[in-house]
Amino acid sequence: MQKLFSWASKWWLGLIPLVVMWGFAAWNNTLPVEADLSARSSAALKDTVLDKTRIAVDGRDVRLAAEAFSEEGRRDAVTAVETVPGVRLVDDRTRLVPEANPFVWNAERDVVRVTLSGSAPLPSMKARLTEAARKEVGGVEVADQMGLARGAPPRFEAAAMLLLDQIGKLKDGKITITDTKVHLSGMARELGGREAIAAALKNLPEGFSIAANEIKAPPYIFQAYKDPVAATVTLTGYVPDNNVHAAIATSASRKFFTEKVVDNLKASIGAPGAFNTAVVAALGALSRLSTGTLVVSDREVKLSGDALYEGAAAEIRAGLGKDFPKSWQYKPEITVKPAAGPVDGTVCQQLFSELLTKSKIRFANKRAEIDPDSAGILDRLIETALRCPTVNIEVVGHTDADGEDSFNQDLSEKRAQAVIDYLVKAGLPPSRFTAVGQGSTQPVAGNDTDEGKAQNRRIEFLVR
Amino acid sequence: MPYLVSFHLGWLIGSLLLGFCMGWISVVQRGKGTSKVTAWWLAALAVALVAASLAHVVPGRFGYWFDLGLIMFACYLVGCTIGAWLRDRVVSRTAPPASL
Repeated sequence: MQKLFSWASKWWLGLIPLVVMWGFAAWNNTLPVEADLSARSSAALKDTVLDKTRIAVDGRDVRLAAEAFSEEGRRDAVTAVETVPGVRLVDDRTRLVPEANPFVWNAERDVVRVTLSGSAPLPSMKARLTEAARKEVGGVEVADQMGLARGAPPRFEAAAMLLLDQIGKLKDGKITITDTKVHLSGMARELGGREAIAAALKNLPEGFSIAANEIKAPPYIFQAYKDPVAATVTLTGYVPDNNVHAAIATSASRKFFTEKVVDNLKASIGAPGAFNTAVVAALGALSRLSTGTLVVSDREVKLSGDALYEGAAAEIRAGLGKDFPKSWQYKPEITVKPAAGPVDGTVCQQLFSELLTKSKIRFANKRAEIDPDSAGILDRLIETALRCPTVNIEVVGHTDADGEDSFNQDLSEKRAQAVIDYLVKAGLPPSRFTAVGQGSTQPVAGNDTDEGKAQNRRIEFLVR
Repeated sequence: MPYLVSFHLGWLIGSLLLGFCMGWISVVQRGKGTSKVTAWWLAALAVALVAASLAHVVPGRFGYWFDLGLIMFACYLVGCTIGAWLRDRVVSRTAPPASL
């Protein structure tokens, strides 16, 4: 031991190179040590749930700043860094994420995007909600503006997921969770969407309740477009059921005799009352236009297009509203088609014959009342009569062979007269027309079949 | 400590070798070393520095450098001890017994 002291008293000389070495070691290793400890600390925090984590290493001391979602999580994070090999001290700058009171979460949909805002309780849940929204709305952009906060009610995620499932059913609108109260507003994408959302909301997790459900159904739309160039009438939109669908399709095919009816209608619930009556009446008005568009949106009917002559335009503007229930609104935008050039009697006769070959003037059974479905053909006959103002026209009525001859004769005369009355009412001079009844004396087909009888019941226009 | 050792192993081996050389030389070196009083004071200083290190008194980078210095110094001392002891063994084996 004595020797050791004697030797040790001479060891101080080596301290000079040792200090130099120390300087070099410190110079070389400070930054690598700090980088290494920073990486190790980050790795240690990988499994902890923190927000806004910042790690700064000074020598071997780590300053940990982060927001934790629970006191336990906060303590665990600090402990995790403290136990990293090589860390000397941990400067704990962690704090808890602020508590939201009330805890509000929103999902808002507009035309171009879905925006998620308000608070989410955990970063992972925030990501899951955003992902769920993306899946639900397909290609629509999802903007994540959610912050993080404590204080979410129990089963928040289940409730938010269920509500996100509904966002796809909305055209636009907003869904809000305020603590455990759910508020919905906006418009459903499709008819029936509102009802589907209301049904889904019954599965909200326990504890959550609906404060307000102000989801509106989209307007119940029926559209018809008459295209004279393509000679089509295109029906689109909704009808309440298959019976109404069939009734409207039949009515359309009777009214539009020169056009092909393209039926793209879909059956859906939510039709306003008296939908069928209103649509049939409106289609009748459309059939009188040379070109036109009919839009029935809920209880509002918009009809625009060109009437064949001024009288028809005035009648359509004034008359159609009467056919609708009182709560319905009617907005006609009717203009008059420019009058076609005059033609001579021969051409006029040809035009009459063509029209009456394509369609016929219909009457009530065994009576002389003109069926409203014949307004279209009558308008075209009037338009034609206006093009040949100098010729006189004989309106000839024919019946089938059913019933007594005298009745049929009388009926054919009355029907011919009813047509003339219609033409006169439309503004044509009565002096140009003569009513002739032929009864069943001039059949064009056999009277032994219904089809033949239908062909025999007819009105003819003869230019004299 | 294990982290400091493993991270600075090269430097610590260097310190150990430096100490070994110093220890090797110190056995045969003539001349006076530090006085006993100074040695005690230096020992007390070393203890105080170790205590300061363990108490984490020095913060940040200075603290790291301080710890590094102490651990290099410890290696140096170990090197010195080993070097001196080995040299002493060599010297005592080669010297004639009469000189004792």
